[in-house]
Amino acid sequence: MRLFSHQRPELPIVDHVKTDGTPWTLKEKLWLGLSMPDYFKQFFRNPVNWLMIGIFAVGLPLLLQRYIYGLTAVTHASNDYPWGLFLGFGLFGMVPLSASGFMLGTTVELFGRKDFHPIERLALLNGLLGYFFAVVYLEVDLGMPWRLPYPMVVSLGPAAVLFLVAWHVATYLSVQIAEVLPAFFEWIGWLKGKRVIRKMVLGLTIAGIILSTLHQGALGALFNYAPAKIHPLWLSINFQWIHFFCSSIFGGLSMVIVSSTLIRNFAGWRCDDTFKKSLDDITLKLGKGCSLAMITYLVIKLVAVAHDQEWEYLLTGWGGYFMLELGVGVILPMFMFAAAVRNNAPGLARAAAFISVVGIIWNRLNTSMIAFNWELYPEIPHWKEVWITITLYALYFITYRFIVYRLPIVYRWKGER
Amino acid sequence: MRTELLTRKKIAHTAMAMAMVGGVLLWTGPSRAMDAADAPETVEIDSLAKLYTGVHFDHAMHTEIASCGQCHHHTTGDKVTDPNCVRCHAKSGEADTVACRDCHSRERFSKEDLSRLDNPQLYHIDKPGLKGAYHLNCVECHQKMGGPTGCQDCHGMTAAGEQMFHTGGHAPAATPTGGHSGH
Amino acid sequence: MKSTVSRRNFIKGGLAGTVAATVLKENTSQAASFEGYPEGMGVLVDLTRCVGCRSCEAACNQEQKLPQPAKPFNDFSVFDEIEHGQKRRTDETRYTVVNRYDVPGQDHPLFRKIQCNHCQEPACLTSCFVNAYTKTPEGAVIYNAKVCVGCRTCMIACPFYIPTFKYSSAFNPRIMKCVFCYDTRLKDGKPPACVEACPQEALTFGKRSELIKIGQQRIRETSGKYEDHIYGEHEVGGTAWMYLSSVPFDKVGFDTHVPKEPILNLVKDFLGIVPMVLTIWPALFAGFHLLATRKDWLKGKTEDDHEEE
Repeated sequence: MRLFSHQRPELPIVDHVKTDGTPWTLKEKLWLGLSMPDYFKQFFRNPVNWLMIGIFAVGLPLLLQRYIYGLTAVTHASNDYPWGLFLGFGLFGMVPLSASGFMLGTTVELFGRKDFHPIERLALLNGLLGYFFAVVYLEVDLGMPWRLPYPMVVSLGPAAVLFLVAWHVATYLSVQIAEVLPAFFEWIGWLKGKRVIRKMVLGLTIAGIILSTLHQGALGALFNYAPAKIHPLWLSINFQWIHFFCSSIFGGLSMVIVSSTLIRNFAGWRCDDTFKKSLDDITLKLGKGCSLAMITYLVIKLVAVAHDQEWEYLLTGWGGYFMLELGVGVILPMFMFAAAVRNNAPGLARAAAFISVVGIIWNRLNTSMIAFNWELYPEIPHWKEVWITITLYALYFITYRFIVYRLPIVYRWKGER
Repeated sequence: MRTELLTRKKIAHTAMAMAMVGGVLLWTGPSRAMDAADAPETVEIDSLAKLYTGVHFDHAMHTEIASCGQCHHHTTGDKVTDPNCVRCHAKSGEADTVACRDCHSRERFSKEDLSRLDNPQLYHIDKPGLKGAYHLNCVECHQKMGGPTGCQDCHGMTAAGEQMFHTGGHAPAATPTGGHSGH
Repeated sequence: MKSTVSRRNFIKGGLAGTVAATVLKENTSQAASFEGYPEGMGVLVDLTRCVGCRSCEAACNQEQKLPQPAKPFNDFSVFDEIEHGQKRRTDETRYTVVNRYDVPGQDHPLFRKIQCNHCQEPACLTSCFVNAYTKTPEGAVIYNAKVCVGCRTCMIACPFYIPTFKYSSAFNPRIMKCVFCYDTRLKDGKPPACVEACPQEALTFGKRSELIKIGQQRIRETSGKYEDHIYGEHEVGGTAWMYLSSVPFDKVGFDTHVPKEPILNLVKDFLGIVPMVLTIWPALFAGFHLLATRKDWLKGKTEDDHEEE
């Protein structure tokens, strides 16, 4: 794509009309203004796409197998480990990384920090897609995926924590769709729709904070149901929801840094100058936020260990693993963020963000799978389960890329806005 | 438990020795106790038979190795020794009936039986049903005395039993069809 | 199915998230005072009586029309089966299993039957977001496959690892678990099939309150025979199925670390903050917004609107 944008001045598309005044059709917009041969030429030139093709070639038949022969065909069908990678990674890992939407929505719309404006839409999109794909993972994991709306309309169990998660994720997903819609309306040129959403921004943002606080916390509180199964270091009845909420703050911010870094490096043609120029500054500011959230998180983690009188566990093998998780996943990136801010080194902040994203996923997998049943036996997922998990992530990746290439997420729409 | 075992063995040994030496019947207590001679030689225990055939019980043989009271509690007039039973049954004497089924219910957990437990005066709230009484009595002693303890050591299995236990003609095919947790 | 009075029914009407969450508080405090149905039935399992004949397993298989077992029910080699270092457990083909424990110092092995313990305040029920579980006044915890979504949270929440999932079915999966023979027996006042099949009366069926008295009597009157504890009297808030043992319970596979209160209590604190967040957050953050944007607002609203986005 980079090549074409140099050869043809009207690319990439940023306006409703071409340089000669004729309008872009929707079809042309979808093909990025390229002819079909050109489109495929650039598509197959990209090695990442070959990787994707490889993943899907195996992953899609596996998915089909799952839906025809049941979960037995692709997982270990364990009754001791009812939740595997689909939820451990897909739900518990994706959701905290999607906290970016409400974080930056709040910062820009509620606190009036216009300096974060260039990255707001990316943060919102990152949130929306993260949640959407958490639901996709859920749909692979659920025994009866066709009954997804049951907790909303058919049979309600409102005293359950999962009921809160279901309702809040569903409503928050709608909120996030509404928040990303203006970009879509600009792109298709329907201004009326955009104006309607504009009027609701404040309400949507506040709804976003409420719903996020509650369901990020609720995902943690879900583990309170298994007090005798999860290693005490990964389960603190009183603080679990705060741990999950607090870690989602730096998780979400770090994910936006990672995502914006990838976009700037590999889809630079799509970014406008405002985005490119302000990104280093924004990255450092986000990094500062991350390091503050991390120190808060660490303190609450320690408070939980002290409160539950778990010091002696720290001296066991599990304790070592626990401290390794905190050391590599939180303390290391925390100092890296701090150093990056002090030395004005956005590159270091980007590395820290990458580590912290991995750290969050590691923590969620530890809680849901590794420290779960710690007194029984470890469960190593079936290779098909791993491959399907990767396939869905690949699907997430190409959906993300598809939207960023087209909608005005990291650039400003030049036509009527 | 160990002392109890010893006592029982001792009783049995004494009983056997007496039976051999005297060639007569057991002397079991000072009160008007029943004699083993009053008892039947054999008893067919089959009123509950369904999955298993009934038991052909050699009563005479068992009287040689156990006292009446060991199975019949206080009802035969044997002196009771269990300190807990002594509290009420020290002077109970011979009962009107000694048959298990007359005290132990065939329908142990039926509504009617359970409703009897509502009586706050009732002491024997834990009296086993007939099937339980048989097995608890026989199996516990067989375990201690080294008697047979397998189900089919005493019973034959009926067709209904084979069906329920998926054995004999109803046994699963050699290749397992399921039954594992699917790992 | 006979309509059973669920104490949670009264909030079924709450549809909107806000409404549901606001009544939630009311609901959980209601649950806190719930101590089980007074007439609820239960079973007292006496480990000293069980001889491992597996009649209960066979009877359960027949009563619940479960699939043919891999081995006959009078094949005792199953006691040596070990998977992942664990003894046998319930799965989609069996609602109950008996396991053998060779405890040092005991002159014969002990056997422990596992099945659903039918908790007074069941974790499966309280964690279910579609209300698929019901605790009936008779004491059974039953399951409605018609509304189940297959999320398997009940399996996470059950402290006894009892509910299992029919993973083998792609189109008709469901939770498979002991239901106390509710439909076929318990609701007519009859004991479950396993109890009826037990030759040793190792399983005593009766009112839960009565069973506790019976258990206490057995402990008291056979000094030293039993551990002075009825497992299930207080564990996770009390269970309808309870156990007596002659050895410490952790020696025969029981989890002695389960909480002594209902699992629900552990999520109550979190559920309690929900109405708070719902009511305080909007005002709080709207206030922040007004403070943060006061300068812009003073500058003039029209300009501001133009500049944004």
